[in-house]
Amino acid sequence: MTAVALPWATTPRRVVTERPSDERDLVLAAQRGEREAFSELVRRHQRRAYMVARSIVINHEDAEDAVQEAFLHAYKAIGRFLPDQAFGAWLHRITANAALDVTRRRKVRDADELPETVASPFRDPAAADELRTRLRDALGTLPERQRSVIVLHDVEGYKHAEIGKMLDIPEGTARSDLHYARSHLRQVLGGVRSGL
Amino acid sequence: MTDEMKGPALVRDDELTNHLRAIVAPPEAPGYWESLEQRIMARVDRGTEEGRWWALSERAYQFGLLAAGLTLIVAGSVYLSSHALEARMAYESVIETPGVDQPIYARRGPLDD
Repeated sequence: MTAVALPWATTPRRVVTERPSDERDLVLAAQRGEREAFSELVRRHQRRAYMVARSIVINHEDAEDAVQEAFLHAYKAIGRFLPDQAFGAWLHRITANAALDVTRRRKVRDADELPETVASPFRDPAAADELRTRLRDALGTLPERQRSVIVLHDVEGYKHAEIGKMLDIPEGTARSDLHYARSHLRQVLGGVRSGL
Repeated sequence: MTDEMKGPALVRDDELTNHLRAIVAPPEAPGYWESLEQRIMARVDRGTEEGRWWALSERAYQFGLLAAGLTLIVAGSVYLSSHALEARMAYESVIETPGVDQPIYARRGPLDD
């Protein structure tokens, strides 16, 4: 057996000694209640699921929370999943819904509480950069859907149709959201550049 | 991207995209994804345990519901039968007790004749 670096990892974090099983087999095994099979599905999909969640919630901790919720939901519902379908697409829809739930809960919590001052254990590499800080603030002011669309499309490379399915919106809406999000952020970028 | 070419309104901005990538970049700390995977599986295990607890509770809930239903039926029938008995007794007391204004059909008198 040769060691194979799993394709989802951009850095060589995990090397497995066996070739990963076919995803359909993993799904079938998970449906039979094999924990290790589900764990392998988590390993394969957590990074992309994180990015889907992050596109919606932006905040790192909330994205993690949404990903955990999504996998828990997927585990509970895997018996109803058809193994011939794409597990990733199914999981990403679940993740998008979980992230939207987290966002709603966050809104309620923020309305009741003072802003959090506890520092995040995750240090964002962009935090020190003035331009990126301003851009991140602007991203936070975008309507939730526009923000999700621009991150999913421009950063993650999803097609409009895929985004539409994931967020349960028409493809045309995804396109127009992308247009407005880009225009808004480009204005911010232009403003910051001229001020620097 | 092919869908970029569908309309002139969507103009790529590589600089913006690069900044966005940096802003929402996933954590790259060593061991982060292994740690997240473990936390996910711990949550799954916890959720499954909670599910079992709920399943037990669901059975208890169904049993409780059945018991409550039976109790309601028994209490209802007891109430109805006692109510019927009361009504019957009230009816009989009205029928059997002669009132003041009622005519006297029999009077004991001196047996002169």
